[in-house]
Amino acid sequence: MSIEYFVFMTINGLSQGMLLFIIASGLSLVFGVLRVINFAHGSLYMIGAFLAFSISSLVSGGSLFNFLLLLLVVPPAIAILGFILEISLFRRVYRQEHLLQLLLTYALVLILDDLVRIVWGGNPRNVPRPEILAGSVDIFGLALPTYNVFIMFMGPVIALGLWWLLHRTRAGNLIRAAVTFPDTLGALGVNVSWVMTSTFMLGCWLAGLGGVLMAALANIDLGIGMEKIIESFAVVVIGGLGSIGGALLGSLIIGLGVTFFQLPLGRWALVFPYVIMALVLIWRPWGFFGKPER
Amino acid sequence: MLNIKLNPETNIYEPETKTRHRVATALLIVVFFILPFVLAHLGRTGVYWIWVTTEIIIMSLFAMSLNLILGFGGMVSFGHAAFFGVGAYTVALLMKKAAAPLLLALAAAPLMAAVAAVIIGWFCVRLTGLYFSILTLAFSQLLYMVAFQWYTFTGGDDGLHGVPRPDFLSPTNFYLFCLVIFLICVWLMRMLVNSSFGLTIRTIRENMDRAKFIGVNVRFYQWLNFIIAGAFAGLAGGLFAQLNRFAQTEFLHWSRSAEPILASLVGGMYSLMGPTVGSAFLMCLRIVLQQAHKGLVEYWAIILGLILLVMVLFAPGGLIGLVQKIIKKKNG
Repeated sequence: MSIEYFVFMTINGLSQGMLLFIIASGLSLVFGVLRVINFAHGSLYMIGAFLAFSISSLVSGGSLFNFLLLLLVVPPAIAILGFILEISLFRRVYRQEHLLQLLLTYALVLILDDLVRIVWGGNPRNVPRPEILAGSVDIFGLALPTYNVFIMFMGPVIALGLWWLLHRTRAGNLIRAAVTFPDTLGALGVNVSWVMTSTFMLGCWLAGLGGVLMAALANIDLGIGMEKIIESFAVVVIGGLGSIGGALLGSLIIGLGVTFFQLPLGRWALVFPYVIMALVLIWRPWGFFGKPER
Repeated sequence: MLNIKLNPETNIYEPETKTRHRVATALLIVVFFILPFVLAHLGRTGVYWIWVTTEIIIMSLFAMSLNLILGFGGMVSFGHAAFFGVGAYTVALLMKKAAAPLLLALAAAPLMAAVAAVIIGWFCVRLTGLYFSILTLAFSQLLYMVAFQWYTFTGGDDGLHGVPRPDFLSPTNFYLFCLVIFLICVWLMRMLVNSSFGLTIRTIRENMDRAKFIGVNVRFYQWLNFIIAGAFAGLAGGLFAQLNRFAQTEFLHWSRSAEPILASLVGGMYSLMGPTVGSAFLMCLRIVLQQAHKGLVEYWAIILGLILLVMVLFAPGGLIGLVQKIIKKKNG
């Protein structure tokens, strides 16, 4: 394996991993506060991707301005959708047993995925990359696709942003308090259900962001939601549910793993996330960064 | 596993000992035995309905097998399709590639599914709650991927088509064949859930810690229950492969695992026959919609999702739970 090839594969794996991180961190964040594992997270990400496609075909052309417009419009739109879902549905099942919560989000998958099919149809679509990100950059004499490098840098930016938000702002303090002692937080006069709603919206915002980034990276179709939600499960299982740092590690393992195993294993590389998820669950069910639950 | 809180009234499965119930059950069975002969006189639509009822019977068996671990064991498996698929592929492979007789293939299906459940279950019962659910999902997707990629053995995404069917199995005979197997399985499961084994399983569901304190080997019982459920699912899968005369990767897919969960929830997972009611209800609903308006089936997933949503929010006990509640109210 030549060094150029190795670097190329690494960039590819890292950009896949970072995209996955943006989506999985939303799932993990929502689980941490709400204690609900949201099956519909992948569907929200898919709606984000298709929404990006619709808007980009309205404004037409791949200018940087249009791409920034997508980044500014689509994630908040998904967050608003999340707001509606949280207020009308999720809020009713927080005190219920796990099974009912899971089934509720599963029902949402059925409804949302089918709505996407009815609205956008089954044809593969994509969003044109802005010219500035469309070409390739020279790094150490290697021509690397700019867009992949861009996504590779987006991941750490989002990770740092989340860390700053959670550890350096009052909103983050409230979120972290709601994870550990929701009742005490409520007794101190904080509106805990508003904290939950906001966290859910933040998770949805991340799903929408992942959708926009994905729409310009590769073709999108009706299968991407389910594909990413299962990969995200693998990520949060590896890293530990509710841990952002864990999600980063898990995303890198899955992204790089799938990319590099593709060479010796071909199509069998797709099995990799499942195998590693099973191994981690058996060896350390609460993940690398998680805590065992009682 | 997942902490299922129960309404104490629907909590304990009481064997229906009243004579009235026995007579009703016997009548119902007789009706189901006569049904195909009546339908056979209706020509093509009749044959179609025989096919539909056969599928309902098979899917009911699948749903009931899941409910052994879901409703009675409190273990939420998202990967039950693994055993359904293993059973289906066992029958398809044995009958197509080894030209095995039907009965041998159908006997091998639950056996192979049980072998798979022994291995998968050994790992899964070590986990509780959400982690159990995710691991079962991971294992079933793993099997799905293997079936998908292993062209030479499973036919990949083409599946295995043209499973031979013995001559004597006309649609009517196959219906009766499935009905008899179904009734035997119901009888077995009924004995099972009312045995000391079944009571232990329910004790574990209600309170795992207390079960441990009184000396129950929790993992072993859950493992055993998982294997039994897997074997019944394998039998259902084998019958389904014979009904459709093919086995395909879709049988192992996670969406297939969701069907018995939906049926159990809609019918009522705290009773033995709930999943059967749920399966029949969902299947009939689908056909009614299809007849009412062709376009409605386009929206099947949405309709299913909405039903599920309503059940989760307003009637977590399912249809049977709802009926029991109404009867309770009536009697004061």
